[in-house]
Amino acid sequence: MGHLHRREFLGLAAAGAGVLALNARGAAPVASSTSAARKTKRVVLVAFAGGVRTRDTFGTPENVPNLKKLADEGVLYTRARTANLGHFGAALSIFTGIAEQRGIRENARGPYPTLFEYARKDLGLAANDVWITTSGGAQQVNYAYGLHAEYGAEYGANTLDGEGIFNKEFKRVLDALGRPRELPKDEEAVLKKLRASLAQGGAAGLNSAESAAQVERYILQELTRGTADLTGANAGDAKALRLARNLVSLFKPKLTAVVLQDADTAHGSYNGYAEVIRRNDAALGELVQAVRADPELANSTALIVVPEFGRDRDLNSRRGLDHGDGSEDLSNVACLCWGPDFKRGEVVKDEVQVVDVTPTVCELLGARAKLAKGKRLPGLFG
Amino acid sequence: MSLVGMLLVAFVATSKVAAGARAQDARALRTLPMDVLGRPPTETERTAWSTQSRAELVDLLLAAREGWERWCDEQLYYFLLINNFHPKADRVAAIPGDLAEGKLDVRAAIHRIGLCPSFEQRNPGADTFVTVVMEQLCGLDVKKNARELDIGKRVYDGADGVFLGQPGKTQADLVRIAVASPQFTRHFLAREHARYVHAKAEPKELAAWAARFDADPRVFRDLLREWLLSPAYAARLARGAPQENRLFVRALYVDLTGRAPTEAEAEPLREALDGLADPTPLRGVLARLLLDSDKAKLPKREELGEPGAWVDGLFARLLGRAPSVEERATFVASLAEPGCRPQTVVYAIVSSAEYARY
Repeated sequence: MGHLHRREFLGLAAAGAGVLALNARGAAPVASSTSAARKTKRVVLVAFAGGVRTRDTFGTPENVPNLKKLADEGVLYTRARTANLGHFGAALSIFTGIAEQRGIRENARGPYPTLFEYARKDLGLAANDVWITTSGGAQQVNYAYGLHAEYGAEYGANTLDGEGIFNKEFKRVLDALGRPRELPKDEEAVLKKLRASLAQGGAAGLNSAESAAQVERYILQELTRGTADLTGANAGDAKALRLARNLVSLFKPKLTAVVLQDADTAHGSYNGYAEVIRRNDAALGELVQAVRADPELANSTALIVVPEFGRDRDLNSRRGLDHGDGSEDLSNVACLCWGPDFKRGEVVKDEVQVVDVTPTVCELLGARAKLAKGKRLPGLFG
Repeated sequence: MSLVGMLLVAFVATSKVAAGARAQDARALRTLPMDVLGRPPTETERTAWSTQSRAELVDLLLAAREGWERWCDEQLYYFLLINNFHPKADRVAAIPGDLAEGKLDVRAAIHRIGLCPSFEQRNPGADTFVTVVMEQLCGLDVKKNARELDIGKRVYDGADGVFLGQPGKTQADLVRIAVASPQFTRHFLAREHARYVHAKAEPKELAAWAARFDADPRVFRDLLREWLLSPAYAARLARGAPQENRLFVRALYVDLTGRAPTEAEAEPLREALDGLADPTPLRGVLARLLLDSDKAKLPKREELGEPGAWVDGLFARLLGRAPSVEERATFVASLAEPGCRPQTVVYAIVSSAEYARY
């Protein structure tokens, strides 16, 4: 480990050449030649966040039978270095490839582009090709895109917060108001004319009119699928994973990210935390099962699972686990990569970094994370 | 009409205000209440307030308890004490009333919020709690103040320590010390100025406000008045600002139904919109749902009277401006088409990019 194999070197060189050619031309976006040759056409990235120690996942395999099985079929990095930047900053660093301090309750977008923006801009992807499902409410919507002048909202990911939208209270309000009536054709034509006549517009948004309409329809359909009825210790995470599963099956996006966070219940209860890990592993198993069962997805989808950081080595006075002791349990996490182009049954013990995920995903898809500080994960490709 | 609306209208009716030259412009009449009360004016309020001077309107709004309810909601949102973490404590619920009656100042109000059980539940554990106290109450970067963080964590666990220059030995001490600190004053005033004026405060001005606030935090109401009557606020009115989801929901309800939503109506909608990086599609769905429900107060087409006047009124009420000649012509002509309902016209406006600003 720690050095490039010849095949990997040639692959990187070809990827670089592809990107350079694109930039020099300034032409329509195209995937690099390396990514075109790969089987991977879609990536699902799961931020197994909320603070999860390796000793409670791969160190206790009975907690994570599904992750263990995937590790046996993929590559497991046992020492992925994190920075304790608070949940928000640390999870954001997974998506930007830059470890940057953000306020723990800061509710604002970061200055750097995310992997979603790199992918959409470089590959010319539509909004519905790039999704992120979350469980943490308002703050996590900020993962969708950053404020960098060359990127931003028009290249952002469509975001759905499972707990925010698919809950009983929201469903109840919608039920009280009734479903919107279909607009007759003549009324739709008038509406179009009225909208066009309004003189003052706004900035370019994330969705085109067409993709916005698709999102509208998807949300209304999803409300009838039972996602709102999910309960239990990991209800928020379960909704985020259920939404991701449905999105992957329906839209077959190029890039789908999931952000979990219910494991943070560990502050007050170790047992509750362990239960969240077990339930999330089961929900992740269902997502993978949906991928395996779909012929279009089965041999073209890669999955990467990584926590934003771990937790303290020792229990606190409430028999829970905080995250602030600077221990190896906190600073090193396990990163799992599973997919058709990856090695099988490989365990990498060399130190890598959580911020390496963004360049790796971008390269897999043929995009370039040009501002990310991380590097492509070593020893990944078979 | 809300109780606050009735009181304000009554106040205006009994005050000796000369009408005429003091007429409020449509933009300020819509935007000022949105910034202070968190909603646009109702029809009755618009009529009553349209003859007020800017200063009189600001005084009216700052005297309303509803404005302090909005202030408290905004503080809770800032600390992300929302959804399951929304405080249930009576002492927090009493904050708007106590502020309106002058029994409490804003520094003491934030202190109450920092001591409520929800604040601790939202920020569990020494590292998270002290980090949030330092970042959100004092605007400190914990990476650059690692020693203070370590001291704070020890104090959180019950040890003696000097945190931000003051002795303490409990979790409550951390909040008390932070809220009383000069860092709190500067951070609080900077973020409040940014929230009301939608602009960054000049350092010199901020220092002067901080000195006055530290001498007596009850001066905050005077500062708000100065900010809302300042050239910076006039520039903000001209520039516009994006509507946050929580404001959008309340504005939509007032604009379409003539009343502010209840918390049970507003919160699930706000939460759902906050769950989307691009809330535009769902905002459109909600507007259509409200317009097609029996809650929307719209005239039938045959009840509109002169269509041009109705369109003028809609633009003033919903966008805070008059329509251009072209817009007016298109809207009036469209109303004559068989496929057009008053709902269609209103939907075109409330689903526009312009309505999403204020």
